[in-house]
Amino acid sequence: MKNEKYKILLVDDDETLCALLSEFLQEEGFEVETLHSGNAATERLLQSDEFDTVVLDIMMPGMSGLDVLRNVRAKRQVPILMLTGRGDDIDRIVGLEMGADDYLGKPCNPRELSARIKAIIRRTENSLANGAPGKAIVHTLLHGIELDTGTRTAVVNNNILPLTSAEFNALSLLMERAGQTITKQDMTQEVLNRPLEAYDRAMDVHISRIRQKLSSEGINDVIKSIRGVGYQMLTEQQPAQSDD
Amino acid sequence: MVRFSTLLGAMYHKLGFRRLFWRVFIWFWLSSLLVMFATSFVIISKYSSEDYAKRYSNDVLTQAERIVWRYEQTLVPQANRSVKLKNWINKKENRRGHLMSMLIMDDTKQRIYHYRLNKVKPEDRLAHSVFGPSGRSYQVFSKKPQAPRIYTQLMYRFQSLQFVFIFFASALVSALLSWSITRPLNYLGSFSRHYANKQEVAPLPRALLTRGDEVADLAQDIEFMINKTHAAATAQQQLLHDVSHELRAPLARLQVSAALIEQKSPDSRHVKQIHNDCLRIDQLIQQILDYSKLEQGNPAQEPCNINALCEQVIKNMAVTYPDIPVTFKADNKAQLNGYPEALLQAFDNIIGNACKYSSDGQPVDISVNNRENSIVVSVRDHGPGVDESEMSKLLQPFYRAGNKMHTNGFGLGLSIALKAINKHHGELRISTPDGGGLLVEIILPRDTVA
Repeated sequence: MKNEKYKILLVDDDETLCALLSEFLQEEGFEVETLHSGNAATERLLQSDEFDTVVLDIMMPGMSGLDVLRNVRAKRQVPILMLTGRGDDIDRIVGLEMGADDYLGKPCNPRELSARIKAIIRRTENSLANGAPGKAIVHTLLHGIELDTGTRTAVVNNNILPLTSAEFNALSLLMERAGQTITKQDMTQEVLNRPLEAYDRAMDVHISRIRQKLSSEGINDVIKSIRGVGYQMLTEQQPAQSDD
Repeated sequence: MVRFSTLLGAMYHKLGFRRLFWRVFIWFWLSSLLVMFATSFVIISKYSSEDYAKRYSNDVLTQAERIVWRYEQTLVPQANRSVKLKNWINKKENRRGHLMSMLIMDDTKQRIYHYRLNKVKPEDRLAHSVFGPSGRSYQVFSKKPQAPRIYTQLMYRFQSLQFVFIFFASALVSALLSWSITRPLNYLGSFSRHYANKQEVAPLPRALLTRGDEVADLAQDIEFMINKTHAAATAQQQLLHDVSHELRAPLARLQVSAALIEQKSPDSRHVKQIHNDCLRIDQLIQQILDYSKLEQGNPAQEPCNINALCEQVIKNMAVTYPDIPVTFKADNKAQLNGYPEALLQAFDNIIGNACKYSSDGQPVDISVNNRENSIVVSVRDHGPGVDESEMSKLLQPFYRAGNKMHTNGFGLGLSIALKAINKHHGELRISTPDGGGLLVEIILPRDTVA
């Protein structure tokens, strides 16, 4: 953990809410900057690398949060937490597909928001501090996927897979426990550092994105869905088949 | 006869003879046929009868003149005179049966020819006079011409090809007329049904709107009404959307303010209360939105796998209610076309209720059953159940069993479920099974006609 404060960009068109939230988050120990439009946020994020997490409201007039996500994600890997309306399943899935790290329904208890931000930072923190104390660097090779938890890269056919930090965590968890079924609850807890919620699609979308990226490198059917339970990475001895 | 009439009845219903098309067709056809019959009748009875009488008299006179001529020329002997004359006429006319009833007498009242006039009463006789080549005058009596019965004549005429042609031509014209009346009406009907199902406004064809007749008026009215309805529905959706959004903004600020107070005094129970109520208001807004969303038309039905939908709900219940054991009996072929979002909401609310009213460890039993025309999803809990008197009120919005206000929930869950089920033309049955608890059955017809 670094000594200086973590810097958060809060993007929401409701200025009063931003002021209140930034007061709350500052009290929680974060440094907060607020912006109130999609355009301003895109511009700021493309020119600067200084934020540890972006909290992005999806429903904004003009340039929406999803537009910001699309523009920023093409060039920056900064972790993004979406604020979506409750029941807006489509927004959530689209947002995750576009590379958001997690989502939170709005309105929400600010303590929940603070916990989510901390979870995301803890996750990316591991990636920045190579070889975090107490955790050994692991090199794994399976199905032609070369995983290095030190550099946090997955290499296939000498190409680095462009994985977000959530996707990398999920892939490394699956490879570490290849041949075992990992429940969705456990995966959500270990990968996203938060408990599974009702109608929580985050893990499914992350897995589907990993599958797509592996498939574009010619690796198919190595992550199996165990219906009603969770996911399993097949070992090389297991026949490559999938029931979904 | 009875069988025939039931057959007709069956045809009547099967072919939809109540439809305007058939009514216009049959009445117009019948009346045109009737007019044609009546006209023919008048023409035949008036002109043909006169014509017939004249022709008959002419024929009588011609035959009488011939007989008189023969009589004078050959001086037929008295014995068998009539017979001989008859034979001669038959030979001459070269066809049998052409002898006409008549009585011919010379000026001395002596009968010179007679054929079948005895039975004709004197008042039915007609008297003519003819002159022989010698200049003698003869008296001829014949039957008053009696036109054959009118229907015989009609039948004789109508058996002709002409009549068959008229019969079918009038049927064709009637069908065309009927079709031209009902076609725009059918089109308007399907147009407004389309709107009711899909809630998409499409413009009516200009040709229909500018016909200038009553149908055009109706089309204009329908277009006006649909536009009005659509505007009202859109405005309502917009209002609900805006209100919920506007309500949520202050709610979000309220929550942050409460959290700020909480940061300063962490153990305040009042702040906890504020948090709880914020959560409740948020849930209520969500349910009202869900409820109004079901009002909107869905663009298209999709195949829904009822088992998969139930499993999805059950999986999520396991997260929310980890201590309630849920048993599930699936049926492999439980598939229908419908609106998966709406069904998911219905199952979620009903299964959620069952879990909510179950105490720890009491199971909730869910089963999917395929019936001949429907799929039945049964959800049974072993909770406190509901009083018989309250059953019917359960489906009213904001009603809660035991009339306990301010408890967990808003009483909207079952209303939302019912709305979703109605969208599939299904049925919701609630009963108290033996052994307590509550049994909710969702009956979804397999062929959902939109």
